[in-house]
Amino acid sequence: MTMNVLDRKARPAIDPKDFKGDVHPDWCPGCGDFGVLSCLQRAFAELGIPQHEIAVIAGIGCSSNLPGFINTYGMHTLHGRSLPNAQGFKLVHHDMTVVGVGGDGDGYGIGVGHLIHALRRNMDMTYIVMNNSIYGLTTGQTSPTSGFGMKTKSTPFGNPEAPLNPITLALGSGASFVARASSGNPKQTVEIYKKAIMHKGFALVDTFSPCVTFNKVNTNQFYKEGIYDMNAEGHDSSNLEAAFAIAMKDTYGTGRIATGIFYQCERSCYEETEKDTLSTPVVDHKLGISTKRAEELKERFR
Amino acid sequence: MASKNNVILRIAGAAGDGIQSTGELLGKTCSRMGLHVLAYNSFQSAIRGGHVWLQMAIGKEKQIDHGEGVEVLLLFNKTSPPVHVPDMKPGGVVFYNAGTIKKDEIESLRSDVNYYGLDFKSMVDAAGLTAVNSVMINVMLAGALDQILNLDPEVTLGFIKHKFLKKGEGVVELNHKIFNLGYEWTKANVKPLGLELKGDNKAKLFMSGNEAIGMGLVAGGLKFYAAYPMSPATSILHYVSTLAQSDKLIIKQVEDELAAINYAIGAGHAGARAAVGTAGGGFCLMVEALGFAGMLEAPVVAVLVQRGGPSTGVPTKQEQADINLAMSGNGEFPKFILAPKDLEDCFYQSARALNIAEKYQVPVILISDFFLSEHFETVDDLDFSKITIERGKFTTEWNSSEKYKRYAYSEDGISPRVRPGTPGAMYVGVSDEHNEYGHLMSDVEAGLPHAREARIKMHAKRMHKVQTMIEAGDAKPPVLEGDVNADTTFVTWGSTYAYVKSAIRMLTGEGIKVNHINFTDIYPMPREKTLAVLKKCKRLISVEANMCNSLCRQILAETAFEIIEHINRWDGEPFTGEYIVKEFKKLGSKKKQLVSV
Repeated sequence: MTMNVLDRKARPAIDPKDFKGDVHPDWCPGCGDFGVLSCLQRAFAELGIPQHEIAVIAGIGCSSNLPGFINTYGMHTLHGRSLPNAQGFKLVHHDMTVVGVGGDGDGYGIGVGHLIHALRRNMDMTYIVMNNSIYGLTTGQTSPTSGFGMKTKSTPFGNPEAPLNPITLALGSGASFVARASSGNPKQTVEIYKKAIMHKGFALVDTFSPCVTFNKVNTNQFYKEGIYDMNAEGHDSSNLEAAFAIAMKDTYGTGRIATGIFYQCERSCYEETEKDTLSTPVVDHKLGISTKRAEELKERFR
Repeated sequence: MASKNNVILRIAGAAGDGIQSTGELLGKTCSRMGLHVLAYNSFQSAIRGGHVWLQMAIGKEKQIDHGEGVEVLLLFNKTSPPVHVPDMKPGGVVFYNAGTIKKDEIESLRSDVNYYGLDFKSMVDAAGLTAVNSVMINVMLAGALDQILNLDPEVTLGFIKHKFLKKGEGVVELNHKIFNLGYEWTKANVKPLGLELKGDNKAKLFMSGNEAIGMGLVAGGLKFYAAYPMSPATSILHYVSTLAQSDKLIIKQVEDELAAINYAIGAGHAGARAAVGTAGGGFCLMVEALGFAGMLEAPVVAVLVQRGGPSTGVPTKQEQADINLAMSGNGEFPKFILAPKDLEDCFYQSARALNIAEKYQVPVILISDFFLSEHFETVDDLDFSKITIERGKFTTEWNSSEKYKRYAYSEDGISPRVRPGTPGAMYVGVSDEHNEYGHLMSDVEAGLPHAREARIKMHAKRMHKVQTMIEAGDAKPPVLEGDVNADTTFVTWGSTYAYVKSAIRMLTGEGIKVNHINFTDIYPMPREKTLAVLKKCKRLISVEANMCNSLCRQILAETAFEIIEHINRWDGEPFTGEYIVKEFKKLGSKKKQLVSV
């Protein structure tokens, strides 16, 4: 374990095949999550992070089965709770690369409270939300990012709620890295994932990952035609105001949708506030206390 | 009250009056003299203005009951007299703040006690003291108490110096002068009580149950603690936070209890000893995750401090009604539920909880109650040498060329646990049902023959841990204490333990033969050994701070043994020995028979 958040180095690349898991994904043929998995494997491989130094920690949902399909350490947790598990893991094992994964229901619905605090807390980890604007595993209900008026099984007369904008939410919550990728655009996605993983702090990557079975609106074709690369068009990702302005134009269907890095800044990551405790990963600390220390602890109460 | 070696004292006033400071000065004086103190705070969920009181039992022997029949009373504000004067023992002494309480009003309450008004302002003015703050009356009262209780004033003065030295020599000197005013005034004006409070001069630890829990966790190798503040568990967070830097602990206040428990599970899964602490309401939010820990086979300790429920209930009052909650969760999974019975036990059981969580790779619930967690008591010593760190089948080595099976079937139900980060042993810890490798058997494979077989075997493997806990002696039967030939046996858990002991002393003094069974391990409950203890008894009466006898229901569920006589209390105040004696006598001398309907 040499890769420490406070001292990050480039390492030789690894063969992406080495990140292939034992189990073949059980996603529907054509699911966007295949692209996310492959991009994540390539990102780890190109960064040269050995498999055992990575933990991929998911919630519950189709996309949250991803840890089972990648050859790293991982956790498959509860619906909405990937981030608390991942942050707890990271704090005691901060020398590992921790990546949270899950869907839009997991991250923007049931787990959105944790997301806001993770963004402001800024631990050194990455969070990839496979956003398909539908609840797939439960067979097609509305999600927090379903468009207004969208017909789903739970909203047969049209979604009465406006969608949540994860980018403005993140920018407004003190995020230090906010990006959007699209599963259908692997080249850009791999680059964004690599930057997110190397970013010192919490990196949110909202990733379009179409549900080919239940979402007939936000399809592969929809994203293929709708997205553009904001960085290629000159967006300066150090400019928070410009990032907000672009994110505000996101309409999920009527206009152009920006991908790329909205915003990245350098600010102290959470682990730096625990520098002394984390000079050695907590899991390597010797357990128990000395006789001398025991006396000191007791003395306070005498 | 001639030559008594113990005394019951109460200090009452508004929150913010300095009752805690007076209590601390007195408590420290006594514990440093080697006397024993038990202090019970009756307070409200308000920061200022609520009416609060602190009752202390002080004596040469270990104090186990804050008692009834107050002998010395200190009253700070005008709400206090009608609330507390009626609780006094005839002949007792009342000190009151003459600046806020009128002499004729208080003295009209009853005539069989002695009243002494301290006019703080005129006393400090007469002494020519300046820069005096009205809250310093607590130092004057400490002086009065030292005199009336016949305590060593040098010890109190020493503690005052220690406490105020960082504010400067001048502040120390002023407080010493105010202390002496109270001491001398009492010497001149108050009839002595004739108390012989002589300690053994070995300074005791004076601490709360929650501090003992925190210290036990730290002694047991705690590295990670997460919480969302909630009374009466918050002071664990406060205590361990003070040690975060010195002892290199990660202490996190997080956004809610869902986060707290999941943080701890993530940390526990990664290989650190992790715990959370909350009250019943917060624990409700943690329940799903405890089942997750059971499935993941991750060690985690959850401290559940009970308070009045349901819902937000009565935040700062006593109740013991959360065994069902501690037992809950969807599906079946192995766990421990431990209920410490006193302060020392809070320390030892907390350390034990961390060990058995790792040994069995399960969640361990340490269930305390408001009184146990929030009261202060003297402890002779806590023996850190009794605490060992046992990590079971946890390892940081993996040298096999074979694919690591995190959930390998094993005879005892416990699989080798390789720490994440170890080269070559990559696996996913999972929430869904799975095979030995941790591959999901829940989605596309569910219901297929091999998945059904895996479900049968894996679920049985996990649940087999319960049997191992019992066979290995890690799940302990209840303990019978006292006269083996007793006619009646009280059954208790948690802080009620000490009050029943106090009641037994009183009853034994009257020639009534009673003894006592206490349950520390609430779950698993080893059936045969538990029955063997229960069946020895002629008549069983449970004593619980609830209405519906949660321990009895648990015993019934686990052993099919029914306890049908009960003493209950759910007004929010802890039991006292007197209360139990009174209720016992109401039950009559005849054993109730179980009637089938």
